Amino acid sequence: MVTPKALRQPMSLRFGSAAFLAAWCFIAAFPIFWIAVMSFKTPVDAFAANPLDVVFGPETRARGNGLSVIDILAGLAMLFLAARLAMRWLPRMVARYSPPGLSVVGWIIGSLAFGIGFIVVFFVILPPILDVVNGMTGPLGAPVIGLTAEHYEAVWVENDFWRNFVNSLIVTTGVVTVSLTVGTLAGYGLARSGSTLAFWILIVALIFRALPHSVLVAGYLPVFINSAEMLRPILGENAPTLYGQPLAVIAVLVSINQPFTIWMLRSFFQNIPAELDEAARVDGCTHFQAFRWVIMPVMWPGVITTGLFSFLLAYNDFLVTSLLLDAQNQTMVPAIAGYFNRETTTTDQVEAVAAAVSITAPLFLLVMVFQRQIVSGLTAGAVKG
Amino acid sequence: MAEIQLRGVSKRWGNFVGVDNFDLTIADREFLVLLGPSGCGKTTTMRMVAGLEEATEGEIVIGGKVVNDLDPKDRDIAMVFQSYGLYPNMNVYDNIRFPLKVRKVPEGEHDDRVRRASAMVELDEFLHRKPAELSGGQRQRVALARAIVRQPQVFLMDEPLSNLDAKLRVSTRAQIKNLSHELKVTTIYVTHDQIEAMTLADRVVVMSQGVVQQVGTPTDIYDRPANTFVAGFIGSPAMNLMEGTLQGGVFTANNAQIGGLQGSDGPVTLGFRAEDAAVGEGGGEINAKVYTMELLGDATMITVRAGGALVSVKAHKEYRAEIGQEISISVPAQICHLFDSRTGARTGGM
Repeated sequence: MVTPKALRQPMSLRFGSAAFLAAWCFIAAFPIFWIAVMSFKTPVDAFAANPLDVVFGPETRARGNGLSVIDILAGLAMLFLAARLAMRWLPRMVARYSPPGLSVVGWIIGSLAFGIGFIVVFFVILPPILDVVNGMTGPLGAPVIGLTAEHYEAVWVENDFWRNFVNSLIVTTGVVTVSLTVGTLAGYGLARSGSTLAFWILIVALIFRALPHSVLVAGYLPVFINSAEMLRPILGENAPTLYGQPLAVIAVLVSINQPFTIWMLRSFFQNIPAELDEAARVDGCTHFQAFRWVIMPVMWPGVITTGLFSFLLAYNDFLVTSLLLDAQNQTMVPAIAGYFNRETTTTDQVEAVAAAVSITAPLFLLVMVFQRQIVSGLTAGAVKG
Repeated sequence: MAEIQLRGVSKRWGNFVGVDNFDLTIADREFLVLLGPSGCGKTTTMRMVAGLEEATEGEIVIGGKVVNDLDPKDRDIAMVFQSYGLYPNMNVYDNIRFPLKVRKVPEGEHDDRVRRASAMVELDEFLHRKPAELSGGQRQRVALARAIVRQPQVFLMDEPLSNLDAKLRVSTRAQIKNLSHELKVTTIYVTHDQIEAMTLADRVVVMSQGVVQQVGTPTDIYDRPANTFVAGFIGSPAMNLMEGTLQGGVFTANNAQIGGLQGSDGPVTLGFRAEDAAVGEGGGEINAKVYTMELLGDATMITVRAGGALVSVKAHKEYRAEIGQEISISVPAQICHLFDSRTGARTGGM
């Protein structure tokens, strides 16, 4: 396609904007890139004064942990191949083998199988093969970049970070499930209702959303600590202490998050013409059936986008989780902060960095899986009949 | 197949009156058109029949059963919406099938009925497409097919043609007329387009500001408008209306004098249709300067100022006059309609 003359930009402008974008991307991505690099190095390399030492890690290499040119090439090829497979082959397989109407299940099974296969090939099958190959190729097989996974091992296995991961999973799943269930129903009701009461409910929700999180935490904390005593008259001797329980944190995070999900989902529902509900109701649906069979299928981008925001709030929350959870139920973000509160050694710091890198991985995965829905959800209004 | 009765039906929102005391019986298999400008309450009336809007007062009876408290799904109606109301996530086939599915019609019948309905609106080739991949006219035909697939007692159509372009509107209109002739189901059709009303209706209800102005066959409404609102709304161009006084059977107004009329003396509004009057050589009832001349192809429209209004006359297509030229228009008494100048109600004529 030829750009119309009126829209053509002078060379200097195009070069300038491209350079600006590149510089901006570099600045924005640099912290993540840098901690990712650091997390694979021994502390001496990770905190080296010379940035090149951080990247190439001579100390790490000297300890016998490193990648050769062949390793790097083989790894990149594997990654490329995996990405190609995921984009081309996976959708086709899912489309062919998943039972009609259950493509979601098909996708879950397909991506699980793909993920496990990838891990097995990449971490179990590939390394021994490359060891042999490196031994035979001489200089090409000699390590050039220092790289060690010891900190990840320390974090996940020795420090029991997986417990924090499980706790995070429980809290985020709870928050997303509750706030989406309540949010879709409330958002739909409020979007379709014309009464002034609906308007006031929304305003009240907005006020609750505006409250600082610490207000809610300060309000809930004493109640949770004393809950066993307070609930004894009703529940008897088995009355639980809510402090430290993931369920209690879910309740607090939902109350922080719910107003926002209601507002967001309401605006998505408002973009769906009311004629659609009406057509469904005339065609033979009850109000709820119209919601379930006609409105919800059109709403998925909105639900997924809102769900992502709820997920991020629960996943990234520090204040509520650090104050309301005890040590065994700690989620990942406060756990990482815990690395810095001890007598911090450089090893601890690199481990904290490794933990920080590990908690960003699920976010990347999530955004990649749902990117199409998120884009259409964020650009909204893509549901006109 | 059912008769619909509206007994004193009103709709109010606070102090605002949407529909006021609507009384009408729609015969079985009748094609009734609700006609009026936007905001006149015609759509509200239909939505009350559908059950999408609750009547503040009055009873709605379909097939001998009061349906006021029934949900839309229990009224055995089908509706076609202005902007189609198609389900964007389903293809055409599933859209048409949806009413059968939710109403638990035996699965075995579905395919046959969907194909029959889609054949009636000539959609056979598009069954696998999504609504987004169809043109406006095709979408409206899907909506029609979805309405007829279930063979309901009543069809409701809410301005089904107003989102289509002019050419498509004519052909879809013909298709609706043909369908209604074939299916013979009681139909309420809402429109603001008087040509649709005239061509489709067995009977037309003209509404304005929530009040029924006239109920009658298209000819009735055209030939004997009940008041100045109907006279000024129906017809293209609408009826010419002149303010003047009647004295001893002679109507006098600025530039106009028409004799031989019957009616009581006093101020009146006189109306006549452009195609009934003729441009003469002189000695006509209206003598005035030409205000404008428009060529319509099949006729020439001459407009003059008379009786405080612009008055149009259709002349034959070769007729030519200069703007400002003095002409004479003959308006015999037998083509004139008389209305009360205060209430606008019809008092005589024709």
